[in-house]
Amino acid sequence: MSYVLPGDVLTPPAPPPKSLKLGPGLLMLHTPGNPVIAHRPGVLHSTPKQQHWIETESRRYIPASQESVIGVIAYRAADAYRVDIGSAHLATLDALSFEGATKRNRPNLKVGNLVYARVSLANRDMDPELECFDATTRKADGFGELKDGFMVECSLGTCRRLLDSKHFLLPSLAQKFPFEVAVGMNGRVWLRAGSVKATVAISRAIGMLDDRQTSDDEVAAFVQLMDV
Amino acid sequence: MSDILLPGQPLPLPPRAPLPLPGPGTYKRGATLRSSLLGLPTISSTASVRAPASPPPVPQQGSIVLGKITHLSPTAATLAILVVDGLSLPATDEFVGVIRSQDVRSTEKDRIRIGECFRGGDVVRAQVLSLGDARSYYLSTARNELGVVFATSEAGATMQPVSWQEMRCPRTGQLEKRKCAKPEGI
Repeated sequence: MSYVLPGDVLTPPAPPPKSLKLGPGLLMLHTPGNPVIAHRPGVLHSTPKQQHWIETESRRYIPASQESVIGVIAYRAADAYRVDIGSAHLATLDALSFEGATKRNRPNLKVGNLVYARVSLANRDMDPELECFDATTRKADGFGELKDGFMVECSLGTCRRLLDSKHFLLPSLAQKFPFEVAVGMNGRVWLRAGSVKATVAISRAIGMLDDRQTSDDEVAAFVQLMDV
Repeated sequence: MSDILLPGQPLPLPPRAPLPLPGPGTYKRGATLRSSLLGLPTISSTASVRAPASPPPVPQQGSIVLGKITHLSPTAATLAILVVDGLSLPATDEFVGVIRSQDVRSTEKDRIRIGECFRGGDVVRAQVLSLGDARSYYLSTARNELGVVFATSEAGATMQPVSWQEMRCPRTGQLEKRKCAKPEGI
């Protein structure tokens, strides 16, 4: 675990492995020597299987293809919705990009509704596009409108940690009360619990996890002491 | 430079000669022939005035233009027209062209994904379909010799066309999808 800055050249482990898998934040330059450089600041992580990546704390979402995000409908254009996903441009969600949608039968989303969608197109020359079904099966699989509930915003790193099934927070909260949660890769988490008290408790716990000043142990202790 | 006539200036005619017929670029006012343009006179049996520089080219229906892609949307690609029929436009002229998704290619017109045909900054050869609307000309690349002529890869190198649908970056070897123009001589 070491902290790197953009431009830092990384030395491969000795003896040099047969193949390197470079994840987010790392680039191999096509100049003589093929150096591997970091292009983001953050902590360098490596696994024994030669997977390397940089964990960066960031709050601004940059759309990437096949990521699941939570969007807010900004307005309705003809046959499509314009959705705010926290990126530089509004994304387009076609009105027929839902499971079982036809010209006569399509979901009626209003401005301000929340949707859980998958980024289907993200390149630097065009506005991002979203779809509300799984790419291969074309079934909803959890995508679609998120009814009721409450949305909190956090950093991108916190969302990645919440999506890890081995992370402690969501299972420890589930032992206290039942709730539903959807985590978007764009720094947004939607939750729905039985009571207002439970909803506030979860959002406070996520806020504490997001806060760089509190440690994971303090968050775990807070969850244990919760009285809901 | 002193031969250049200003609009309204009388033509320099020999003093006791019969008045020539007024030709293009001239008009008759009273008994004198005057120039109506800024240009050089040609005096014979007919007098005419021609502007010294050739007029800048303007796209017409059927012209072949070269343009640079400035904006992409799911339904159209917008480009800034740089060259018309082999003549480059002066820097002050800005003509805008639009390639609608149904005019990108001649087959499977309804299943086009614009991001797989053009990218921002690509130089494209297209044909003018019509004078279009107030904002832009309507262009088409639906022929073999029309399409992307020059594009830069994500690694920053100039790409070479491999087929009518793909271009290859010489530095990384990666293929990127574009609607390529058929190079001359192939």
